[in-house]
This record gives sequence, C-alpha cells and structure tokens, in this order.
Amino acid sequence: MSTRPVPGASGTTPARGTVFREAMLGTLRLDEEDRTRPIRLDLTVSADRVMRPTGTTDARATGRIRIAGWADDPDAHGELEISPLARRRIRYRIAFTADGRRVTLDGWKSVTPRSPVASMTVLPYTLYEDGAPIGTGTLRFPLTTQLVPFLASFRFPRRENPGALLAPRWQGERGRTEVWYTTLTDPATGSGLWLHHELTAPADGSEPYAHGWAAVFPKDGPVRHARFGPAPWTATEAGFRADGITVEPGRLTGEADGGTLRWKLTERPMAEPLFTFPRWSWRRPLLPAAQMLPAARALYDGTFTHDDTTLTLTAAPGASARIYGHGNARRWAWLHADLGGGDVLEIVAAVSMRPGLRRLPPLVFLRLRRGGRTWPRRSERAAVGWAGAGRFRAAIGLPTWTVTGRTGLRRIRVEVTQPADRILALDYTDPDGAHAICRNTERADAHVLLERWWFGGWRTEREWTLDGTAHAEVGTR
Amino acid sequence: MSLTGLVAAVLADDGTAHWPARVPARLETVLASMPLPARAGVRAAARGLDAYARARTGRGLAALTGPERESVLAGLVARPALLPLLDVLKVPLLLAAGTERMLEDGLPARGPARTDPPLDCVSAHAWPARSTADAVVIGSGAGGATAARTLARAGLAVVVLEEGQHHSTESFGRRPPLERFAELYRDGGATVAVGRVPLLLPVGRAVGGTTVVNSGTCYRTPDHVLARWSTDFGFGLAEGFARHLDEAERTLRVATQPLDVLGANGKIALAGADRLGWQAAPLRRNAPGCRGSCQCVVGCPTGAKQSVQLSVLPDACAAGARIVTGARVERVLIDADRPGGPRAAGARVHREDGGFEILAPLVVIAAGALGSPPLLRRSSLGRHPRLGRNLSVHPATSVAGRFAEPVTAWEGVLQSVGVEEHHDEGVLIEATATPPGMGSFVLPGLGGELRRELEGADRLATLGAMIADLPGGRVLGRDRTLLRYDLHRRDAGRLLRAVRAMGELLFAAGAEEVLTGIPATPRVRSMTDLDEVLAATSARQLHLSAYHPTGTVAAGADPQRFPADGAGRLRGVHGVLVADASVLPGCPEVNPQLSIMAAALAITEAHLER
Repeated sequence: MSTRPVPGASGTTPARGTVFREAMLGTLRLDEEDRTRPIRLDLTVSADRVMRPTGTTDARATGRIRIAGWADDPDAHGELEISPLARRRIRYRIAFTADGRRVTLDGWKSVTPRSPVASMTVLPYTLYEDGAPIGTGTLRFPLTTQLVPFLASFRFPRRENPGALLAPRWQGERGRTEVWYTTLTDPATGSGLWLHHELTAPADGSEPYAHGWAAVFPKDGPVRHARFGPAPWTATEAGFRADGITVEPGRLTGEADGGTLRWKLTERPMAEPLFTFPRWSWRRPLLPAAQMLPAARALYDGTFTHDDTTLTLTAAPGASARIYGHGNARRWAWLHADLGGGDVLEIVAAVSMRPGLRRLPPLVFLRLRRGGRTWPRRSERAAVGWAGAGRFRAAIGLPTWTVTGRTGLRRIRVEVTQPADRILALDYTDPDGAHAICRNTERADAHVLLERWWFGGWRTEREWTLDGTAHAEVGTR
Repeated sequence: MSLTGLVAAVLADDGTAHWPARVPARLETVLASMPLPARAGVRAAARGLDAYARARTGRGLAALTGPERESVLAGLVARPALLPLLDVLKVPLLLAAGTERMLEDGLPARGPARTDPPLDCVSAHAWPARSTADAVVIGSGAGGATAARTLARAGLAVVVLEEGQHHSTESFGRRPPLERFAELYRDGGATVAVGRVPLLLPVGRAVGGTTVVNSGTCYRTPDHVLARWSTDFGFGLAEGFARHLDEAERTLRVATQPLDVLGANGKIALAGADRLGWQAAPLRRNAPGCRGSCQCVVGCPTGAKQSVQLSVLPDACAAGARIVTGARVERVLIDADRPGGPRAAGARVHREDGGFEILAPLVVIAAGALGSPPLLRRSSLGRHPRLGRNLSVHPATSVAGRFAEPVTAWEGVLQSVGVEEHHDEGVLIEATATPPGMGSFVLPGLGGELRRELEGADRLATLGAMIADLPGGRVLGRDRTLLRYDLHRRDAGRLLRAVRAMGELLFAAGAEEVLTGIPATPRVRSMTDLDEVLAATSARQLHLSAYHPTGTVAAGADPQRFPADGAGRLRGVHGVLVADASVLPGCPEVNPQLSIMAAALAITEAHLER
C-alpha cells in the first residue's frame, strides 16, 4: 500500500473548501438620478477553506447582477471577506459592467449582537466607477424566500490541486502501468487529438520504460499517429518526462516520428477533479486499476503539427486523465463526452483480468458532472449496485456500445458509435507481457438520454447528441 | 416650572428696564443646551428658592413685590454656606442677563466679514452608509486638522469626522454671542469636573474644535517643558518640536497683538505691570487684523482669528481631505484577528438610520483630551490602566478691579496681555475680558446688589490667571465623559498666590477696589485687606474654571505608564495614532494650541516616514 501523501491533502492546501449561493434584493440610487432602481444580486461564493465562523474567510464570488433599466451582467465577479465575529463584517466587492461602464459594488454587512438578524441580512453599499462613488443603495437578504435555498446550497467540496494529481504514483513496484493521456477536439476544424504517455514497469522486474503515442483524427482524412519510446524512465515530481516529451501541470510538449508530429500545448483546468472510479481506489490502489481526471474539463491552446499540417488550437475542449494499476482490463469501453455548458460525462466499463472477476459482466463506472454536481453520488452505485442488483449495464461492442442504468428517480442511456473509418487500432502491452487491442477514436458520436421519473412515467430531463466530438475507445483481447 | 420668579428676584427686576423681562426665556434656551444634571440642578434651585419664599411670606417669588423679594434674598445671603450654591445658580442667569442687556444696548456694528476659505464639508446625513478612505481622523480641532492636512498632503484619501457643525464667519457675525455659545460648546459650556474643588471646564464642539472658541493666544511650548517630555517621559518627538512649532506659527500667522485694538482691559494690565516693574507684554496671537470684537470665545465674527477651520482645514481640503459634520463616532472598528495583532479598520459613526462606517487602515484619534478616552473605551481599546488618567488642566481663577473711569472691557482684544512675572512659579496671568456674563468671573451679590454690579460692569477690568498643575484628573465614562479632578495642595497654594498677584496688579493700575470672586468677602479696597482675606481663604472658596485639558492618552516610552508609545501610536493595536491634546505627556504650562499642532505634525510625519 502506498504511504505517500494523498494529493490535495497536504498541509498547505486545506482539504475542503466552501461553496454557497446567495441572492439579495434591494435598491440603488445613482447620484445623477433622483429615483431608486430595483437591484438583484445572485452570487455563487467559493472559499478555499471550510468557512470559519470565528475567524475570517476570504472567498471569491461570481454571479449575476441585475439593475432595472441599467445593468444585467451575468459575469459579475469579485470577492468576499466573511468575518461575522472576528471583524463583525461581511464585505462584498463585486465588479460588473453596467451600460458599458465598469462599476464596482463595495459594501459590507456590519454584524452586531444587538440586532443579529438585521445586521446579517442588510448590506448597504456604494457603487464606484474608477474609484469615484457614483451611487449608493442597500441590498437585503430576503429571509422568507431565500433562507432555505441559501442554507441548502452550502457545500464543502474537497480542494484538489489538478497539478498535484499529475505527479507519478509509481514507486518502483513490479508489474505496474501508469498512464497520462489527453484527448481533445479542435472546435475550428473538428479534428480530434490523442496524446498517450505511459510508464510500464514489467512484472518480471526488468527496467521500467516510458513510451506512448500521439494521434490526430482529422475530420476529412485518415487517422495519423506515431509512437514514441520506449525510453528509460526518469522520475520527475511534476508528471511525465521521457525522450523529450513532457506532461506537467498546464503544459504538454513533445514530438514523435522524427519530428513529423510535434505538439506544444497549454492546459487550463476548468473544473474540479473527477474520480471515475471510487476516490478511495485512487488513494489506495486496491482495485486492479483506477482511472481519474485531474480536471473534469480542460481547455487547450497551442499548436499540433502533423506532416505539413499545423492545427492552431484556441480554447479547445478536452481532458487529461490518469490511470494507475496492474495493467489493462480484459475488455473495456471508455467515453469522455463534453456535453457543453460545463457538463461532462465520463464512463469506464471494464471486465477485470483477475481470476473470478473476469467472469463477471462489465463493471460500469459512470460519472455525469452536471451543474457542478456529479451523478451518481458514488461511483460504486453504478458499478455494483446493491450487491449487483440495480447496477448499471454495458453492452460493449463495435461500432456501437451502450450503457444504461438507473438510480433514484433518474435513469440514463448512453449510446456510443465509433465508425470504423474514424478508428485507430493500437496494440497495448501489459506489464506481464500480455497484449490487448484498443480501438480508439476522438471523433465518436454519442447520444445521451437522461430521464426522470415523475408520477407514473419517465420524462426526458436532458438529451445530448454529440456528432463527432465524443472521445471513446473499446479494448478487447 | 417658570423661572420668572427666580430671575425677577436675583436681578431685582423693578420694571424700570425692559431687558430683565426677557431673561427667563433666554435662560430657558441656555438650560436647554446644558446636560441633564445641570438643568435639573438649576430647576431644583429655582424650586427651592420659591419654596423658601412661600415658607417666609406665603407667596411664591413671582407674586412678591421688589422689597419683599429683597428681604427673602437677604434671609438667604445671611447663610454663608448657601453662598457658593447661589453663585453656581448665578452663572447661567448672568449669561442670559448679560446677553439680553447687550441686545438692549444694541449689537455693536459689524464691518464686512471676510470670506472664509472653502472647506469640503458634508453633513453626516448625506454621507454614504459605506465608504472607504486611506485615513480617518476623528476630531477636527487643532490636532485633528493638523493630522488631516499632513496626511492629505502626503496623498492619502482622508476623511475627518467631526461631531459638531461647521460655522462660518458670516454666521458668527449674524447672531448674538449667546446663541453661538450654546452651539459651539459641548454641554452648553457646562462641562464640570467633580472633585474636592469642582471645576468648570468648557470645551468647544465644532469644525475647528476648541480653536473656534479659544482666545487665540499662541504660546510656544516652553523649552523646559519639552525637555521634561523627552527626557523624563520618553516622548522622543518633543526633541524636534522647534521645527513643527515654526510651521504651526506660520500656518496660523502668529504675531504679537498690536496695541491699536488692544482695549482698555489690556492697557490697564500693562500699566499695572509697568508700575510694578513686572514682565508683561501683549500676547502673541493668531489673529492678524484683529478688530477687537472681544468675541473669541463664541467664534470670531470678523474672521481675523485663524482658527484651524480658517487656516489648516482649508489646506487639508485643498489636498483632498473631506469633513463630515454632525458625525459622532460610535467606535473605532478593529480587526481582531489580523496577523501580528489587532489592527484598526476604520470607524463607525452614529446616525438615526443605523449609522455609517468608513473603512480605513489608519485611524487618527483627535477627539480631545476629554473625548478620546471614552471613544477608545467604546472601541474596546481602553484596557491600558493609565488611559484617561494623568489629566492635566490649567485651573484658573479670575479677579476684577473697579476703576473710576469706564473700562468697557468688552471692547478690545478678549485676551490681550500676558503677565509672565510669576510664570516660573507656575502662574500665568492673562488680561481676559469677555462679552457680559460669559467670563468665568461671577459678579457678587443678589437682588439689588447684583443689579448695581451689572449696571456698573463697564467700570470693571478683569484678569485671569492659570496655573501649571500636577496631573490630578481622570476622564471616566464610555458613552459620556465624566471628569474627576482633585486639585493638588501645591496647586491650591498657587491659585491663592495668583489671586494676590492679580489684586496687586489691579491696585497698581489704579483700581478703587478689587472684586475677589470669594463669596464671603467679595470686595477688598487694599492689598492689606486682600492679604487678610486670602489668609482666611482656601482654594475651595474661589470660583474655579479650568482650560486646556491634556494628557489622558499620554505618549511616552514606558509601556506601563503611557497608553501611547513615544511616536504617538496607541499601544495594543496597529494603525491608531493619537494626535490631540490627550497625547501630550504633561502639562504644557501655556495655552496649548501650538503644542497640540506641533505634536500632531510630529506624530503624523513620523508615521508617514515609517
């Protein structure tokens, strides 16, 4: 068992943060006007630590501000200083755009034990433009309508550093494989990219080696790929580094096939980490292997050159993922689907190589990140259900494979199509020397149907159709 | 109850003049501006007097005839123990009477008032509920104004919070002195220090603080005082005071008062000192072009006196400072959980709609020696055991001399001549005349006797003497200032010596008789008589007032003794400077405006240089 510090739980970074939502209503009087305007402020507040009621918590705020006839900025953002007892103050500084002017709202609730409710709900503020006051007003937190949503919105999410999750897990054990892979779609050309970096520590105790490949899936042309390595493994704190190819937080560079494939990309994590397998299986590698995404979504910028073609990527959506374990599954299917609007679907359905387990049907690990929340709440629920009952099911095949499942009042059906002409088939070698074939495409189609049960019937809650932008693969032996 | 009977009795209103009939109404307005205890005391005394009249005659004072009232009063005056009480009762009454009598004679014609330099004043009602600044200065008196100007000139966004209102020179010229009196003084001028000897301690409340109502006398801090501050107390900034005093004098345009408008009162003092061979001279004042209106204590009606709202605050406003008027600070905001210890975060100001707050990383306390300790207590910054203690005042008493020729002391400079002959012994005599009724000198007698004194007041010349005291006072209280002051035995002796010296001066100048201010023996006609009277008198029997409170948040090196450190920073919190009279570690022994301004300059400059 690994005894290394759990990523994200080191002493310097608090293990959990705080997120809540708050809505306030009130009035604004601009200095140049002799009337008041209604104003509404909806904020999502996130702090890097669990809020300390007796201390001071600094937090970021994003949200929407609406001022009747003057402003409606869905991209208001700023900061909060939450210190109800130590400083007796909850200060809001929110910058937004109103009528083309850049304006800052600065105000604070002044907490006093003499009138705890009023002082915790009334926010007098002043508006500033270029540091000069242009108006004043008061926002009020409406207790009757907002208290319950406010309290129910409190979350204390784990704080994970996406960079720390890129650090190698391998510590010299035999028979391990560790993978850093990145898939993305260039929205300009419709091309898909796949960068696979792998460390293999053979089971026979021979020298570990690093290798991998890069592949591009052009919209109108054949799939092009090139392998790199094997090269000797040199340990690095940051991520993967071998043969001039690097994976480190925020950056991916390398070249293969004598320089005919070159890439130089920057990565911007756009979401919290996503643990496809149960989180504990990443911290304590008890399962044959586990996969996770340091950031459920990321955006990529930079260039990818193959032969004479150079793709210039600007905010290309995709994700990097990590695998650590004993080797590849006996049979597996994988899907990463960027559903738009920040929503992501990640599926791994796999049959283990272990004796006994290999007789089981595929275990489905399905994670739907929607509106910042992940469904099902625990990935074990989809994989094993209640001792097998109610587990999610996968029908692995080509060109189409499906996953279906139900938990609570929701059910999902995912259908993935990997057309033969978009597929790249590659030979995988396990640490024990066994071989598998992976058929991968970053230009898969997918259809996702999410339904909700509502008094006697299933109603469609959301439906997504991805046309050549899903990333998927199917592995067989 | 009506005060008519009381007024008619005390002023012996026989119906021959119109003005006494208007005094009761005027007295009501005077009382309205006073704190509750003073108000209640005067009313209780009026009731007591009325009850005494009923007991003696079966009728109230108002229903009696003139001679009957005289006989009732005579019964009271026969009891010596009652005399001090009756004198206290006379103070507000004489204030009202003096005003009405002056109005009867017609207000002196006033020349065109100067136009005040502009100030950026905002009423507290118009100030936003939430705002920020680089520095908040609490108080706009000599210290606060100087601190605000220094900080504003250094580029900081400064907000000055002032509890009082802004009064323009034009408004001073427009209204009679007493109406201004009630507005310009805290507690209507009736701030009293309780103790073995009660002291009246008037303090100003306006934009400009007490400098609006002081006499304009500007003494540089004596060298021996500065030496004591820096070596004995460790107030290191005192060493560089010379430069700051120069700057303060330059700002206030301090110069020796020319003789042309000095007035008869001052000339009598000069003549007396000349005959005695005493060291005396017209005072150095901050009033270039003074026209001798004799209204310094209720705001100069010609704009000659360079109070800080005419000299320092306009510079501060020109550099960007803003003044909020009518802003009483509830508390200094403290961030208790800052790394490195608590830190000031701004100030909260009282307002009917819940108050407003200004966030600023620097808070300058300049609420005066009487206001700063309660403010710090309200702000949970009052834990230092010496906070509010070490109160020095200049206990003062006054003496009048009656001359054969009219003096008309209220025509000329209010505080005109300084007699420094006894300054080494801690006694500073200053020829001080005030508008009728406003001085600390209380005319003797009741009824007809008092009326005759009032009618003959134009032949009186008055001198005042203040003594350098040992710090014997404490400022108590949190929401209201409570004062306790115990006069030291040494200082009681100094006061009696001061009375003797003033009597000597007046006799030398040709006074027919000297009014001692001692209730039992109000008049003496020779030095021999005076010496006899003084031998049988204790300081308790004098009418004492006090001026120039200092030292309640003293700065010094010893953390146990001084709530502020040698650079004027309040101990136990970051970001709080003390820049008013309270920071002076000991009695300045002279009128302190220049000393306070120099201290504020030194403290804020030291802060900026850090």
